[in-house]
This record gives sequence, C-alpha cells and structure tokens, in this order.
Amino acid sequence: MTDTTGTPASDTPVFSVDGLWKVFGPKADRVPGDPDLTALDPAELRSRTGCTAAVRDVTFDVRKGEVFVVMGLSGSGKSTLVRCLTRLIEPTAGTIAIDGEDVRAMDRARLRELRRHRAAMVFQHFGLLPHRTVLDNVAYGLEIQGMGKAERRERAAEVVAKVGLEGMEQRRPAQLSGGQRQRVGLARALAVDPEVLLFDEPFSALDPLIRRDMQEEVVRLHREEGRTMVFITHDLQEALKLGDRIALMRDGRVVQLGTPEEIVGSPADDYVRAFVRDVPREQVMTVRTAMRPAASSEETVTGPAVRPDATVSEAIEAVSRAGTTARVLDEGRCLGVVDAGALLDVVAGTAAPTRTADAAGDTHADGAAGVVPAAPAQRREPAPTSEEPV
Amino acid sequence: MATLTATTRKASPPGVLTRPAVRKLAVLALVAAVLVPLAAARWASGTWPGALTVDVSEPLGRASDWIIDNRDSHPVFLYFLGHVSNAVVIAVRAVYLALLAVGWAGVAAVSALIAWRAAGVRLALGTAAAFLACGLLGMWVPTMQTLALMVVAVAASVVVGGLLGLAAGLSDRMDRVLRPVLDTMQVLPAFAYLLPVVLVFGIGVPAAVLATVVYAAPPMARLTALGLRGADKEVLEAVESLGTTARQRLLTARIPLARKELLLGLNQTIMMALSMAVIASVIGAGGLGDRVYQALASVDVGAALAAGIPIVLLAVVLDRVTGAAGARLGQAPAPNARALWAYALAAAVAVAVAGRLANRLEWPDGWVVGVAEPVNRAVDWMTDHLYSGVPVIGGTADWAGHFTTWVLDPLRDGLQWLPWWSVLLIVAALAWVIGTWRTALTAVLAMAATGVLGVWKPSLDTLSQVLAAVAVTLVIGFATGVAAARSDRVERLLRPVLDVFQTMPQFVYLIPVVALFGVGRAPAVAAAIVYALPAVVRITTQGLRQVDPAALESARSLGATSGQQLRQVQLPLARRALLLAVNQGVVLVLAVVIIGGLVGGGALGYDVVFGLAQGDLATGLVAGAAIVCLGLMLDRVTQPTERRAEKGA
Repeated sequence: MTDTTGTPASDTPVFSVDGLWKVFGPKADRVPGDPDLTALDPAELRSRTGCTAAVRDVTFDVRKGEVFVVMGLSGSGKSTLVRCLTRLIEPTAGTIAIDGEDVRAMDRARLRELRRHRAAMVFQHFGLLPHRTVLDNVAYGLEIQGMGKAERRERAAEVVAKVGLEGMEQRRPAQLSGGQRQRVGLARALAVDPEVLLFDEPFSALDPLIRRDMQEEVVRLHREEGRTMVFITHDLQEALKLGDRIALMRDGRVVQLGTPEEIVGSPADDYVRAFVRDVPREQVMTVRTAMRPAASSEETVTGPAVRPDATVSEAIEAVSRAGTTARVLDEGRCLGVVDAGALLDVVAGTAAPTRTADAAGDTHADGAAGVVPAAPAQRREPAPTSEEPV
Repeated sequence: MATLTATTRKASPPGVLTRPAVRKLAVLALVAAVLVPLAAARWASGTWPGALTVDVSEPLGRASDWIIDNRDSHPVFLYFLGHVSNAVVIAVRAVYLALLAVGWAGVAAVSALIAWRAAGVRLALGTAAAFLACGLLGMWVPTMQTLALMVVAVAASVVVGGLLGLAAGLSDRMDRVLRPVLDTMQVLPAFAYLLPVVLVFGIGVPAAVLATVVYAAPPMARLTALGLRGADKEVLEAVESLGTTARQRLLTARIPLARKELLLGLNQTIMMALSMAVIASVIGAGGLGDRVYQALASVDVGAALAAGIPIVLLAVVLDRVTGAAGARLGQAPAPNARALWAYALAAAVAVAVAGRLANRLEWPDGWVVGVAEPVNRAVDWMTDHLYSGVPVIGGTADWAGHFTTWVLDPLRDGLQWLPWWSVLLIVAALAWVIGTWRTALTAVLAMAATGVLGVWKPSLDTLSQVLAAVAVTLVIGFATGVAAARSDRVERLLRPVLDVFQTMPQFVYLIPVVALFGVGRAPAVAAAIVYALPAVVRITTQGLRQVDPAALESARSLGATSGQQLRQVQLPLARRALLLAVNQGVVLVLAVVIIGGLVGGGALGYDVVFGLAQGDLATGLVAGAAIVCLGLMLDRVTQPTERRAEKGA
C-alpha cells in the first residue's frame, strides 16, 4: 500500500514490521508457512486446526516522529499486534525491527533493554501498582533500571508535573479518578524517556469528556516532544484526530493503511467504506483533494487564498463568503483552485477521490474580483497532527 | 433452574431421561444389576465380608516396633529426623523461656503494642485484657507453653506453606500436583494427622509441632498460590513491558499484589495452628490443651473451663488482630508511623523492664481467681436439677438419652444392617447425582477402603453420628440462614455470635456439652452441631443475599409473595451456596465427631485415642486411615460439580 503523506520523516523506520503472524492454538507454527491454511478465513481455520490467527501477515513501518494509529474493532488483533512489537506476546512468524535491529532475534537481556529504554507502553486499564504512591508508580520504570531513590524520584516528579498531576504525588491509585490514573500510566511510560510510546486503547475506559482531555494531552505531548507513538484504538474519531497514518485492521489483517484523508477519501473496500461512512468528511479531507488547475489566469489572482492542507470545511467557508473560487496557495505559489461544486462533491462523497482538473470540468468562472481576506488557516479544529509534524 | 440450563446444554434422549440425574441413576442401576448378584453370590451379603479385608495391623505393628527399636540408631533418624526433632524442641524451649523472661507484664505490653500498630487501639486494649484474663484464671504458664508452641509451629507453617504456595503460584505443573493434595488435606479431620507423626517421632513436643505444621500449612500454601495467580494480569503485563526481570516482577509486583491473600493465609494458618496445638495435647503438646484434656478425662468441667477460656481468648485476639491487619492494607500508612512505633516500643520495653526489676516475672499467685470451684458447683447443681426429671421438658441427660435411643441407635443399626454393597451403591448414587463420575468413584473407593481396612462397623458408627449431626445442623442452619437473609436485624444480632463461634478451636466445644449432657455419643454429636452451625448459617445467609437483586425485583414486580420469592427465586439461585453449606457442614461435623471420641463418642475417634493411650499404634493408625477415607468420601459425596469446575479453572 502506498501512501503519499506529506509527513517528513527520517529514512530508517522506528519500527519495521514485515509479514508478522501471531497464531494462538496447538501447533501454531505450521499455520503461517502453509499456503492452504493461510488462505482460510478465521472460522474455517479454527475448525480445521483449532488455531486462532490474531495477526495475519501484517506489514508496516512506523516512521520517526509520527503518530501511527492501529485501529479496528475488538477482536481484530490490534492489541495482540502492539504486544508483539516488544514481544510481550511472542510472534509466530515474520520480522520486527526496531531501528533496523531484529527484535525477534534479541536475547532476554537485550529484550529487557528494549523494554526499559526504547519502547514504553500505556495500558487500557492503566496497570498501576495499587500499593505504591503515584510518585513511586511513575518512578517504577526507573527503579527497575537500578536508578537510585533520590534521582528517580526527582525525575518522576518532573514527569508527574508534565502530565498535570502536581500535588498528587503521595496519593495511591485507588484515590484517583480514571483520567488521573491514566495520566499516571502515561507519566510512568514517559519517565523512562523511551524512543517510542505504545498506547493500547488507553482512553477506552474513560468518560467521553475525560477522553477528549486526554487526547488533547497526547496531541500536546506529541507537539512538544515529537516522540514516535503507536496508538491502538477502536474509536475512529480518535484515530482520525491523532493519527498521522492509520492502519485499519480486520480479522488480523491490515485492510487499509494510509493518512486519515486517504482512509476517508478513498476507502479500500466496502468494509472500510462502511466504517468511515458517518465521518464528517469536510473536516478530514483537505483542499488538495478538491483542487483543480486554474481554468483561467484570472482565477489564479482573484478569490480568497487557502492553504493546500486546509480542510474542506475551511475552504467552504472561504468560498461561500467570497462567492468565487478560492485559490490554493502554497508559499505564495498558486497550486490550483477550488470551487463550490468540487467542495460539495467532497462533502457528499460523490467525487472521485483524487480530482484532476478534467474531472472537475468547467464549473463557473465568473470573475468576482473582491479579494476576501486571506483564508482562515489558524482557526482549525483540534489540529489533525499531520499538519505540523515535528 | 440449574437443571433447566443443564438440560438445554446437552442433546439428550427424550422423556424423563432428559434429566441428567435420572440418566446417571439409570446407568448406575444397570451397573448394579450386573455386579450386585455377582458380589452377593461370591461373598456374604450382610456386613463387609471378611474375605475382602486386609489385615494391616500386623505389618503396621511391626513397622511401629521397628521404628521404636531403630529410633536411636538408624541413619535416617540420626541425621535427619533426629535433628528436626531436636531443632523443634530447642526452638519451642527458647521461645518459652523468652516469654517467661519478658514476664507477664512484658508479654501483655508487647502483644498490645503489636495489636495497636496492626489493628488499632480497641484491639490493643482487648489483647492486653485477654492476656491479663489468662493470668487471672491461673493459666499464665500453660498459656505461655501453648503460645511458644504456636509461635514455632506458625513460623514453620508460614515458611513451608509460603514456599509451597510460591511453587504452585509460579508453576502450572506444581499447581496441578499440589492443588488436589491441599484440597484434600483441608477437609481431613485433625485427628487423622496425629498418628503418623507419633509413629515417627513418638509422643512429645516434636510430634505435636509437626502435626500442627502439617495441619496449618495448607491454607497458607493455598492462599499464597491463589494470591499469586489472581494478580491483575494487566498490572503484570505493564510491569513486564517496562523490562523487569522475573525476580523483580515477583518481588515488586506479584508478592505485593498478593498481600491480602497472604495475610488471610497467615490468619487461617494461625487459627488452624491454635486449633491443632490444642488437640495435639493428646500427643504431648502440653499447655492449655493438655489442661482441658486432663480435666475432661476426669469430667472436671470447672478445670476444663478455666483452661478453655484462655484458648478462646487467644483465638479471638489472634483472629481479630490478623484480620484487622488485612482490612487495613488498602489504606495509606499514617505519616508518623515510625515515630509511633518507636514510642510504643519504648513503652513496652519500659513495662517489661519494670516487671523485671519489681521481680514480678511470674503471675502472682494471689491474683489468681479460682473459677473451677464455682463452675463445678454450678455443674453439680445442673446435674442435680437439670439432668433429668424437670417437669414437662425433661432434663438434658434425658434429651441426650432420647436422642441416642431414638436417633443415633436406629441410624447406626440401620447402616450396619444394610448389605455392604448397598452402602456403596448409595454413596455412588449420591456422589454422582451431585457431582461427577470422578467424585463418585473416589467416594466409593474411599468407602470401600474402610471395609478393606477391617473397620467397617466403627466407620458406619461414626458415619451414623455424622449423618445425625449434619441433619440437625442443616435444619437449624438453613432456617437460621434464611431468617438472617430476610431480616437485617437478625443478621446484625447473629453476626458477633457467629464471629466468635467460628474462631473457637474444635476442642473447646467439648467442654460445655460435657457439662450439659455428660459423656457419650449424644454430646459428641451436640458439639459437632454447635461447631458446624456457624459456617452453615453464614454460607446460607451470604448465598441468599447474593442472589441477583434484579431477579428478585422482577419476581416482586410480578406479584410474588415473599414465600414464593424464597422458594422460586432465592433458593434455586442460591443452590450453589446451599450445596457448599452442606459440604462444609459435613466436613466440620466429621472433624468434631471424631474428636468426640475423647468424651465417649466411641467409634473411630475412640480407636485413635485408645491407640495413643495404649501405645497400640497399629489400631490407631488403621482408625486414622479410616478417618481419612471417611473424610474423603463425605467431601466427595457432597461436592457439587460447579465447585470442581471453578477450582479447575
């Protein structure tokens, strides 16, 4: 699957997963190598072999600095997948590399090293130690690395402050609310300063409002630190909101991998289409999708200006205020124009996903000269993080 | 209700055979129709046929003689068991001397201090009061003897049980091996453990301590394993995801997460150790139990009570303090905990030193309140006025006599009159209908084993007492349980009573029944009923109260009367709890019926006591083995399928 996101990323992926399988059940090893068995659907595989394939031939790269979301319904294998990354669950077949180093070939000491310093995980039900205070829970990862008490507490206190839990250091997990507990879980993962943060449905157990707060928190952390994140969720809104790229899983397979815009704009199959049907497309799709080359030179100089990665809903506002086509400007250069019809097509989902000028056809080119003040680029919905990769 | 779900689950033949119970009975009848004529033709049909018994007493006697002859010379004794025995003696002696050296004031102060830090001020005062009461009753020295034995036995039990539990908690294979053994040990009467240790160590303190350890270690092992296995999976995963080593996981997560279970294990171990330490007076434990034992032997109720009260006080204090420590676990410690410890320790040391300087280490004779005399006078008065001839209601001895004549005798004679194979069939039928074919097979084999051992008749005698006691226990227990489940006030009234009764060691129950009913089988049964009743009441009440309130509410909304609610909703839904209550009742009743051998209960319990008293270990061991078989049989017969399944999971 190709993806064409604008995320700048360094060359070696942080995680590189290739042909990964995880099969549960008796003699699970034989399943991935056997073409007869791999062709079966889950129910048939189960009745034939008694095995369940939680992850089936999954391949993807996680680039440095991006938020990589794995999304799927329960039972789709996403939680198993993320656990395979640090071998909390031992994969059955395939390769996993972290910074080019083969994870499956690591011995125990090396694997511990990986878990201690390079990848830390945040869990759905927090996984806090009930007999320790907040501070000691956060310091736990440092403690098992052998760091001295004073030093690790100092470090933990900083992280506790960073996640907004000042003053609660001496409380126990039982005295905290769900959102606060997950902040402790987040702080514990951050305290070891890992290269990658793994999130396993971290906010599913929280109330909707708290969940939104926590999502903002993750967005903020990502903006501030630029840490690579692998985020597991079953919530499409969450995936679209947080993900630079999304891998959509079904029955253990990745059915589509791409940017939120690609997933929403060009679903790979009916399953994905059904999945994204209710998404407010104008808030996910960017102007780039609805753009066509300027039909006349007049169009390249008049009309409001919008940035190419502005959302369609922003362009709609600009276009409807001006009553003309809007210009798509990238650093002063005009890439093309959008008109009301093209924008409506995006909202209605009737347009071909990647428009060309021909497809857009000639709409109208009435030259309203009034130049509307520049397109509102700053007033955005809680930023799709693809906007500003760090 | 449960049968309904069971039938829908399986594809079954039509008609009446759809009920699994009926199907099982049909199969059993078929098997019986083939086997019984064969067996009856081959061997006689009345009591257990002589041809099927194996005389084990002779080889056992020889083994016993061999052990006695070689105790001082064989390497196993010289280099292993001898050391174990010496270590136990030295340890108990050391603790005992230490307790005496601290003096009564010191012991009371230190105990109160520990109780205060672990459980709060009220329990600290209670603890101090309990120790002072022991002194007032003139039982200071025996109390210290029992305490010394307890300390050593509990320490050993915790170590042994903790290690076994650790193994079972961490290794699935060890768990599979240990679990059935521990489960079975849990249901065996204390008396069954006495003979084997006496065989090896002879009568004395080492045997008493080891019997106590064997009896008290299983709950620690079980609960340790349970705690380690029950740890929150996601916490463990989180801890692993941070890169812990296996050792770090165990020390920083698994064991701390299991603290509740570990403390509960400690609590149960202490209670069982106390219970056994008292019973072990039969094999030379000394201390409070010995005083009770000697007093009961001469039917001196006053002296027995004077020694019995300290036992009860000790039991209640130990239970409450360890229980409260467990309940306090979740709370954050007080900020100045260390300073408080230091002050309290200083105070306790000061009290001990003061006692020492004042030369008041031993409890002063002048402070002893003799309760034996007045109690005995009261008992004499009771004997004169209440035993018999009270108008209309009759006397207690009359009741005991009637119970023996009209219930126990016919039951025993009836059981012994039944052909042996029919007893086995009844056992098989009951066990299979309630449980699985496995439990049924174990039960039948265990029952048959009593016959093979040549103690068929005394076993049936014991069984008759158990059945009578269980019947009475269940009738009273279920009635009380239902009442307590339906009325909060009744439950509030009952709770403290049940709490105290459930903590008392089995042995203590013999004292009041001897006072009321004299000696014989009826008092043994009465003690068993009183001992088993609290557990049955409690389980019944809890079971009924835990019935899904939604189900009850929907029944009420349909206009069910309270009787209909009870019969059609609560009782069927609480079926599991009720079966568990039966199971517990049977196990507890058996334990005390056996001990009843000490107060004229006869049968297997008497054989054990007789064997010990006469040095005839072979008789005692056979009786002990029969007790084990009977215990196994009774447990398996009443073991519901669900409980098995749950434990297997």
